[in-house]
Amino acid sequence: MNDKTQIAERDQEALARRERNQPARRMTLTPAVDVFEDSQGITLWADLPGVTKEKLDLKVQDGNLYIEAEAVVPTPTGLRLQHAEIREPRFARAFSLSPDFDTSKIFANLQNGVLKLTIPRRDEARPRQIEVQTN
Amino acid sequence: MSGFYSGTDLFSEFDRLQRQMESLFGGLPSSLRSSRFGAFPQINIGTTDDSIEIVAFAPGVDVAGLDVAIDKGLLTISGERKAAHSDAGDDTRTYAQERFTGTFRRAIELPQNADPNKVQARYANGCLSVSVGKRESSKPKAIVVQ
Repeated sequence: MNDKTQIAERDQEALARRERNQPARRMTLTPAVDVFEDSQGITLWADLPGVTKEKLDLKVQDGNLYIEAEAVVPTPTGLRLQHAEIREPRFARAFSLSPDFDTSKIFANLQNGVLKLTIPRRDEARPRQIEVQTN
Repeated sequence: MSGFYSGTDLFSEFDRLQRQMESLFGGLPSSLRSSRFGAFPQINIGTTDDSIEIVAFAPGVDVAGLDVAIDKGLLTISGERKAAHSDAGDDTRTYAQERFTGTFRRAIELPQNADPNKVQARYANGCLSVSVGKRESSKPKAIVVQ
């Protein structure tokens, strides 16, 4: 176990060196998403298996939407990993939001490891039919 | 706690290398039942002294439509994931559709010492955890030196 921790720490140092201007980050997975838009706004689905509400961090900062999450899968003690297709329990993905979205009314719902976000448009940004007068 | 993950990225580097090698040499023999890389759901497998633990990362799957079966030492996980956005109107624009939809099937060849009568499966937070017990005779035993 000690050996593993050592390798992980060394790896992070290498990453930090590569991106010198950024603080040291941990390796993360990019969750798969579906993004749809209709006249009301954007609906975004993201796959976050193993993530609970407590381990999900959603924030809007400087016009960007950040999704960060950590998966927790209960495992018995003394488990030896033999085959792994998911190796990092951390998910992270960011999107930029155009100013016509109302970030104060974002609605988030997490169910069975799927996050659903609805991001409404501002009322004044909704499409409007303009009536044409003929006289 | 998170025993199903290893903390380093060395493994994914190895994966990348392996895939590169496969494309160069036309593929070394692999199990007939193995899936292509990145198949849904992704699976982690580990063992303890008493059991074989399989985790399938299958978010957003209806439990009723999830089928776990063991047949002659072959564990099969199959089911269907429906599209989240079925009520798409005419004015809906799609910007990204990366999430898997449709039916899926993954098979895992269990080792000889797996006991098909001792299987437990649980679906929580989008993860299916299957625990297959090992036969008594295969469990590690300390050998007393006379």
